[in-house]
Amino acid sequence: MLRTMTLALLAGVFAVPAMAQDRWDGADSLDTNPLACDGSPGEMAMKEYDGGQPATMSDKMGQEITLIDVPKLVGIGYFAATTKGQAEAAAELGNVNVSTDGPTEANIDDQITFIDNYITQGVDGILFAANDPVAIAPVLKKALGEGIHVVGYDANSEPDAREWFVNQAEFNGIGKAMIDAMAEEIGADGSFAIVTSTFTTPNQARWIAEMQAYQAACHPNMTWLETVEAQEDNNLSFNQATTLINKHGDDLDGIFGMTSVATPASAEAVTQAGACGEIAVVGLATPNAMKPYVASDCVKSVVLWNPVDLGYAAVYVMRAVVDGKLKPGDKSVEAGKLGTLSVVNGSEILLGAPFIFTKDNINDFDF
Amino acid sequence: MAAPEATTALAPTPRRRWVPRIALSQELVLFLAIVALFVVVGAINPRFVAERNLQSIFLGNAYIAVAAIGMSMVIISGNIDISVGSLIGVLATVSGTLAVAGVPIVLSWVIPVLLSIAFTTTMGAMVAYLRIPSIVVSLGFLSILKGGLIVVTGGAWINALPEGFHLAQMKPFGIPMPIYFMVILTIAAALWMRLSATGRSIYAVGGNAEAARLSGISRERTVVKVFAIHGFFVGIAALLYATQLAIIQSTVPPNLELTIITASVVGGVSILGGTGTVVGSTLAAVLLAAIGSSLIFINVSPYWLRAVQGVLILVTVLADMWRRMRQARGRGR
Repeated sequence: MLRTMTLALLAGVFAVPAMAQDRWDGADSLDTNPLACDGSPGEMAMKEYDGGQPATMSDKMGQEITLIDVPKLVGIGYFAATTKGQAEAAAELGNVNVSTDGPTEANIDDQITFIDNYITQGVDGILFAANDPVAIAPVLKKALGEGIHVVGYDANSEPDAREWFVNQAEFNGIGKAMIDAMAEEIGADGSFAIVTSTFTTPNQARWIAEMQAYQAACHPNMTWLETVEAQEDNNLSFNQATTLINKHGDDLDGIFGMTSVATPASAEAVTQAGACGEIAVVGLATPNAMKPYVASDCVKSVVLWNPVDLGYAAVYVMRAVVDGKLKPGDKSVEAGKLGTLSVVNGSEILLGAPFIFTKDNINDFDF
Repeated sequence: MAAPEATTALAPTPRRRWVPRIALSQELVLFLAIVALFVVVGAINPRFVAERNLQSIFLGNAYIAVAAIGMSMVIISGNIDISVGSLIGVLATVSGTLAVAGVPIVLSWVIPVLLSIAFTTTMGAMVAYLRIPSIVVSLGFLSILKGGLIVVTGGAWINALPEGFHLAQMKPFGIPMPIYFMVILTIAAALWMRLSATGRSIYAVGGNAEAARLSGISRERTVVKVFAIHGFFVGIAALLYATQLAIIQSTVPPNLELTIITASVVGGVSILGGTGTVVGSTLAAVLLAAIGSSLIFINVSPYWLRAVQGVLILVTVLADMWRRMRQARGRGR
């Protein structure tokens, strides 16, 4: 067994030189599209409108409409927050009735049944967050076929099964927000490591690639040390982050958490190592999991999007569609207090820059 | 029962009778492997052997080691429990839920342990008296616990745990609590298995059930006892797991049962039953943590951890087979 161990170790040692790389571990190899350093909108490759259209155009322009919202599931804080945003938008507009109804578990079959029932009852529009992009498509197409408007948010369906989708965050937007937040905390020449789920998890790999591209362009003096994997396991994430702290000592200025598990676990590792204030933690996470660390000032920025704004935007988009103010080929839409939102990827509305939860606002959220 | 293995590789000495022979086999190999790892990786990066990383290594798999004590007893008795990862997930959630609900903290520690013993005793009784293979019984429990946990909690995490709940974060005399649990429980269990009649009967039942029966040992009662004791260790492991972090993730930790079984098997517990020690499984748990940490220190993808674990399992099992063959041949002579 000693020989096995030695062999494994030798293999490891020899693997090191091979790892000198131009791509960060955990980043994918797809093209990146980093945003401008100052946040000005970049050149966007325009894509033809690829959404679906209702069979008959409603004539409810400016009139009162009734909407049903069918999220992935009800009874959790996240979708309670989107519902809250929808109610705010409806109250502002004054001519929209919106209610939320959906399965109590994130089950696609139940979700389809709910949507089907509301098609039968008759509504003017359906808002949804899909449990499965493909499986939900037929029932949404049925709604379009009956002249019901369909707008998605949070989790998309196949494009031609809905008219528009409100996209909460683009990969390059997250990449910029993460790197900017870290640069602000550790300075223009700080060094950081990344804790991710696995090197091949699609969303995380895309985010890391965009982070690298943005850092190279806008914060060229920061140093990436390494990326470690921790799956979606709380204790493993904690151990991996602790090992990073032990390994790099004073050379480590910050840790990025790429998942809602890795970020709180990294914050916990920094806390238990007594390194709060010396090692920054920036990451994607839900507010509830981060409240203890934000309250103790160990974590200053939690990157995500604001689900209240997401629900709010979805209702404004629906109203604009009914009123004929948002048509295929348009490049932007007015969304009340959120201002003008741009159209991306053919038939998606981008919510805007990611939302940063801080000590000042995190207690306003419960999800 | 107690294996004469590995002594074959050593020159026989007159003192052999007083030196516990078992200490010269798998345990020694594991110990040397840990030392070798510390020396090699420490030479590459001295921070690997700095006090705080050593503490992290011993701390990292302490709950695995504690669970592997019970698992080793179960495997030595000729059974297995693959529900242990799910059970730890459920018990951690129960513990956190009780604590948040305002139950006295000591009860939120004790109730999960009692619950664990109740669960595993039930499993043991089904294995012993209904004669259902343990892998089937524990597979059933695995599904029930895993599914039940998701239905009941909806995947919501437990936070806002009360002050004083975090047993595993306490550091008497500067050493983290889980390390005390790992060391003390390993020594206690090792002595109990070596010296007590019940401890010896576990080896007897797992080694040769028929011979054990003829010598007056009840297989049924021994198996139920083993599972009950296993439940105690699982309960303690769940407690260490639940109180390590400020948040309890109400899901079953991925592959935890495999890591625990790996620690037992690499620790020298024969998967066929009858031989092995809990000292070995604890050393193996520490070795696995040290390998995991070293992979980060020498910049190797943690995917290697899986590969190395796999190699360790196969090498240990092959060595076990080889010993058994030699033993059988020796007896034939």
